[in-house]
Amino acid sequence: MDGVVFSIQRFSIHDGPGIRTTVFFKGCTLHCFWCHNPEGIRPKPDIQFFPERCIACNECVKACTHGATTLVNGIRVYDRSKCIVCGKCVETCYSGARILTGKHMTVDDVMSEVMQDRAFYETSGGGITLSGGEPIMQPDFARAVLERSKAEGISTAIETAGNVPWEFEERVLPFTDLIMMDIKHMDSAKHRWATGVPNERVLSTARHFAMTDKPIIFRIPVIPTVNDTVEEVGAIGSYIRDLIELRNQNGGDGDHTISLELLPFHKLAGDKYRSLDMDYRAKDLKIPTKAHMAELAEAAKTHQIEVRSR
Amino acid sequence: MIEVNEFQELTYQERIDSLRETKQRITQEKQQIIGSMDHDDWGLILPPPDRREIVQTMSASGMPITDALIAGFKVKPNHPSGGFFGPKAVGENFRALLEIHPVYIDPVSSLAGGYMANFMSYRKPHWNPDFDFGFLHVDQKRYQLGTGIGAAQHFCHDLSIGFELGWGGLLEKIRHYHDVQQAEEKDPEERTQKMDFYDGLESVVLGMQDWIRRTSEEARKSSLSEANPQRRENLEAIADINTRLVNEPPKTFREACQWMNWYQMAARMYNGNGALGRMDTLLQPYYQRDIDLGILDDEEAIFHIACFLVRNTDYIQLGGPDENGSDTTNHLSFLILEAAHRLRIPANVGVCVGDHTNPDLLRRGVEIMFEDKCGVPKFLGIDRTTEGFMKNGYEAELARTRAYSGCHWSAIPGREYTLNDCVKVNFGRVFEVALKEMMADTTIEPSIARLYELYAKHLQHAVDTIAKGLDYHLEHYHQVFPELFLDLLCYGPIEKGLDASHGGVEFYNLCVDGSALATVADSFAALEQRVEKEKRMSWQEIAQHLENNWKGPDGEKARLMMKGISRYGSGNSPADGWALKLSQLFTDLVKEKPTPKGYNMIPGLFSWANTIPMGKHLGATPNGRRAGEPISHGANPDPGYRKDGAPTAMAVAIASVQPAYGNTAPMQIELDPGITKDEGGVDHVADLIKTHFDLGGTQINLNIMDAAQVLEAHKDPSKYPDLVVRVTGFSAYFASLSPEFRQLVVNRILTEG
Repeated sequence: MDGVVFSIQRFSIHDGPGIRTTVFFKGCTLHCFWCHNPEGIRPKPDIQFFPERCIACNECVKACTHGATTLVNGIRVYDRSKCIVCGKCVETCYSGARILTGKHMTVDDVMSEVMQDRAFYETSGGGITLSGGEPIMQPDFARAVLERSKAEGISTAIETAGNVPWEFEERVLPFTDLIMMDIKHMDSAKHRWATGVPNERVLSTARHFAMTDKPIIFRIPVIPTVNDTVEEVGAIGSYIRDLIELRNQNGGDGDHTISLELLPFHKLAGDKYRSLDMDYRAKDLKIPTKAHMAELAEAAKTHQIEVRSR
Repeated sequence: MIEVNEFQELTYQERIDSLRETKQRITQEKQQIIGSMDHDDWGLILPPPDRREIVQTMSASGMPITDALIAGFKVKPNHPSGGFFGPKAVGENFRALLEIHPVYIDPVSSLAGGYMANFMSYRKPHWNPDFDFGFLHVDQKRYQLGTGIGAAQHFCHDLSIGFELGWGGLLEKIRHYHDVQQAEEKDPEERTQKMDFYDGLESVVLGMQDWIRRTSEEARKSSLSEANPQRRENLEAIADINTRLVNEPPKTFREACQWMNWYQMAARMYNGNGALGRMDTLLQPYYQRDIDLGILDDEEAIFHIACFLVRNTDYIQLGGPDENGSDTTNHLSFLILEAAHRLRIPANVGVCVGDHTNPDLLRRGVEIMFEDKCGVPKFLGIDRTTEGFMKNGYEAELARTRAYSGCHWSAIPGREYTLNDCVKVNFGRVFEVALKEMMADTTIEPSIARLYELYAKHLQHAVDTIAKGLDYHLEHYHQVFPELFLDLLCYGPIEKGLDASHGGVEFYNLCVDGSALATVADSFAALEQRVEKEKRMSWQEIAQHLENNWKGPDGEKARLMMKGISRYGSGNSPADGWALKLSQLFTDLVKEKPTPKGYNMIPGLFSWANTIPMGKHLGATPNGRRAGEPISHGANPDPGYRKDGAPTAMAVAIASVQPAYGNTAPMQIELDPGITKDEGGVDHVADLIKTHFDLGGTQINLNIMDAAQVLEAHKDPSKYPDLVVRVTGFSAYFASLSPEFRQLVVNRILTEG
C-alpha cells in the first residue's frame, strides 16, 4: 500500500497536542486561493523550480527526454505542459533549484520517519498528524498509516477539510484519536467563491463527526475578504454550538470535546506559488492583527464554546 | 539610565538595573578598546584609562586574543627566555600583580571588587623551553591537535574549603604543612620543590589579603565623603565585611558571597578559571542561618547573588543528586535562577534535569529562556553523565559528586584533575591525512573501506600522540605554571606539597574531545554515495576538486552534488550511520588503554569556539565544505541537515553519538518556536530537553530566539547592545563577537544550509 506524500515534518507543534510528526498528503478537493501549502493541491507529484538557486549547469536539460526542459538562446526554459514529472532532472539538480514535491511512499516509508520521534510523543502527549492537502482523499493509505500508528501505541490525529464522501472519513475514524477540521464559511456561495466548492458536504461531514465520540477541534483560517468579520466568525461559532448540542443530545459531552481554533492568514507560501508557476491571488491581503484575532475569538466565544486563537 | 539624586534610596531591582547598565557601558568600552571578543565575557573590567596597555596574547583555553593589561606592571623573569616559571616565581609575580591591582568598588553593589587583568597574558613565553617536547611536534602538527600541554585550570576546586578557613586559615594551613613537609620529605630535591611550592601558595594568599585590605580601606574612605545615606551605609558595610574577610572566614550570606567573589575573580585573573560548581548547595548553610536569624530575606539574597553574577560568569550547577542520590535542588537554586533572570547578562548557569531532580527547576529555567531570550540557563543531563562516569570504574556515590563547572564539562570539586576542554582531536584533519595517503598510493584501488581503514589508523596515532602529550604535561606543568590558586581549595595539594597537575589530588581523568564529527561523517557518506555507489565521479576527480577547493568549471556543481546527500541529522541516513561509527571508533580508541603513564582518559565530543581556527587550517572536505570554512560544531549536525530543521531530529542524532563515559557531547540548539510561553511553548521545549536526555543526551546549550531580530542584529550589532546569545558552552553579548562568529550563530538559525 502506498500513497503520495509531499512532506513529513518532525517537531510539529501547531498540528495538535504535544510534539508531533505531521505527514502531508498530496491532493486536495478544495482550491482555496490563499492555500498555505499550494504544493499539496494537485494529487500527483510536481516539480518546484526555484530559479535563484540555479547554477546554470544545464544538467536538467541533458536529463530531460520529454522536451520539457530545453535551452532557448542559452537560457533554460521549462514547459510544464510537456513535463511528465519523471524526476530525472531533479536527480541531477544538485543546487536544489528543482525539487520533486510529492513522492510515492509506502506505509513502512512513512513509519520509519514517524517512529524516530516516538520518545518525544510519549513525553509530550504528542503523536502523528495526517494533514495535506486533504489526507482523506487517500482514505485507504491514511487508514493504513493510522492503523499502524495505533498498533505502535502512537496517538493519532487528522486534519481534514471535510469535503470528501463520508464513507472515506468513516474508514479512518476507528484509528483516529483527534479530529481537526476546517470550516471556512457558513454561506455556501461565498464558500464556493473562496475554495472552489460549496459547503454542503463540508457541513454534513461536520455533523457526522459531531455524532461520533471523537474529540474535535474545528479550525477557521482567518482570511481577509473571506471570513474575517465578527459576523462571519460568529456564524461559524453558532454552528459549532449547534454541533455541541447535537453531540450532547446523543449522550456525548460536546462542551468538553468540541472546540474552536482561529488561525491567522500568513504569507509564507509566496515562494512556493512562484516555484509551481501558480498565481498567488492572496499576495495583497493583509495579515490580521493580534487585536483583530482577539476580537474574532470573542465573537465566537459568545456562543459558549471553547476558543483558542494564535 | 537610572538617575540617582544625592539622597534617593534605590530598590534592589533598581540597583540590579544599575549594575546591568554599568556592565553594558563597560562592555561597550571593551568592544571599542579590545575589539571582538569571541569568548566568555569573564566579567573583566578594563583598567582605568591611564593604566591600560593593549597586548596580543593567548587565552586560558589556547585561543589567540587581544587583551588589556595594567600598564607599568612588569613581571620578574627567572629564566633566560624572559619567562617566569615554577611555583615560587609564579606566586611572587602574581602577588606583585595583586598588590598593584586597582581597587574597584561599585557603590551600588553589595560586593566589592572587580578584576582588570589576566595574569596569563604576562606568561611569555607560555612554556618553559627547557622542557622540550619536540619529539611530539611532527604528529601534533600533522593532526592539528589541541594537546593540552601547558593548558591551565579546567578542573574544579571546592569552595567549602575556603568558606571554612578564610584567607587567614589558608595561610596557617600552608605554613603548617610547609613545616610538616620540611621535616618529613627526605629527598632533598623533592624537598626544595615542595618548599618552593609552599612559598608560591603563601605569596598568592598574601597578595589576596593585600588586595582585600586595600579595598576595605578604600570603601571606608569613600563612605566618609558619600552623601547618599543608602550608599554610605553600603560602603560602610563593605568596609566592615572586607576588613574581617582579610583573615576570617565568612559568617553571613553576604560575606559568603563576598568571599566567593574574591576567590572566583582572582582565580579567573590567575589563569582563567571559570569553575564554580554547586553554588546552591555551597551557599545554603549561610542562607539558612541568616533566614533563621531574621537578618536576610529572599529579595536581599537575590540581590547579593546578582552582585556576584555581574562580576563573575562562572559555570554553576543548580540541583542534581548528592552522593546518596537525593536531589539537592533547594530554594536557593530558584533564587540563583531568579538573580540571573533579573540581570539579563551573559551567565553560565546550568540546570540539572534528571529522573530524581525537581522538575520545577527545568520548567522555571525554560520559562526564563522564553522571557529573557539570553540563552540562560543551560541544561545538564545529570543522570547520563553520572552513569557514564561510573563506566570508568567509579562508584555511584563518587560519580554523583561530579559537578558542572565549565563550558561542557564537570569535575569532582577539589578532588579531580581533568584538563577539560583543553584537548581536541580534529577528525577533519585526521580524515584529510587519510584521504591524501590513500590517493597518493597508486598501487591500490581507492575505496571507502580502504579510506576508513586509514582513517582508523591515523586516529589511533593521533590519540596515542595526545596520550604522550598528556603525560608530558603532567610531568612538567607544575614547574612551569602551577595551579597555585585552585590548589588552595583542593584536597591534597597543600597537605602533600604537590600541585594538582602533579599528583596533588586524588583522581586524574583527562578529557580528550573529538570535533568535526558531522564534517567527517558527511564526507564519508558523500564519497560512499556519489563516488562509490552512483559513480557520478571518480576518486581522482573528487580529489582534484578538493585540491582546487571546488574551483574550476564543474567545481560548484561537484560541491553541491557532494553536499546534497542526506546528511548526519536527517535521520536513518547512511551519514547518520557514519556519525555513529566514527563516534564509536573514537570512544574505543580513547578507552582502549590509559596514557603510557597510566592516566585515565575520557572521550567527549565538543569543539566550542575552535570550529573557526580548526577549519581555517583544513582544506576542502568531501561534504561540500570549502577550504578554510569552519568545521562542524561539536556533535551537532551541520546547519541544513534537514529541510524542516526539526530539533527532535537533531536531538535523536546527538543522543545516538554520545561517547557516554561521563564527559559530554552537548547539543547546541537554536529555537524560534513561533509560539509563546503561554501558548504551550514551555511544555514543548521542556519535553524536548527531557526527552533528549532520556535518549542518552548529556547537555544542552539552547537559545530561544527571535530569528528575525538576530538577523537584524547581525547587520548592525550596535543597535542591539543588550542582545545575549549562548554561542557554545558560554554565553556572550552578540555585539562583542567578531563578524565570523556572529555568522556561525546566524547559520545555525537558518534551516536551509
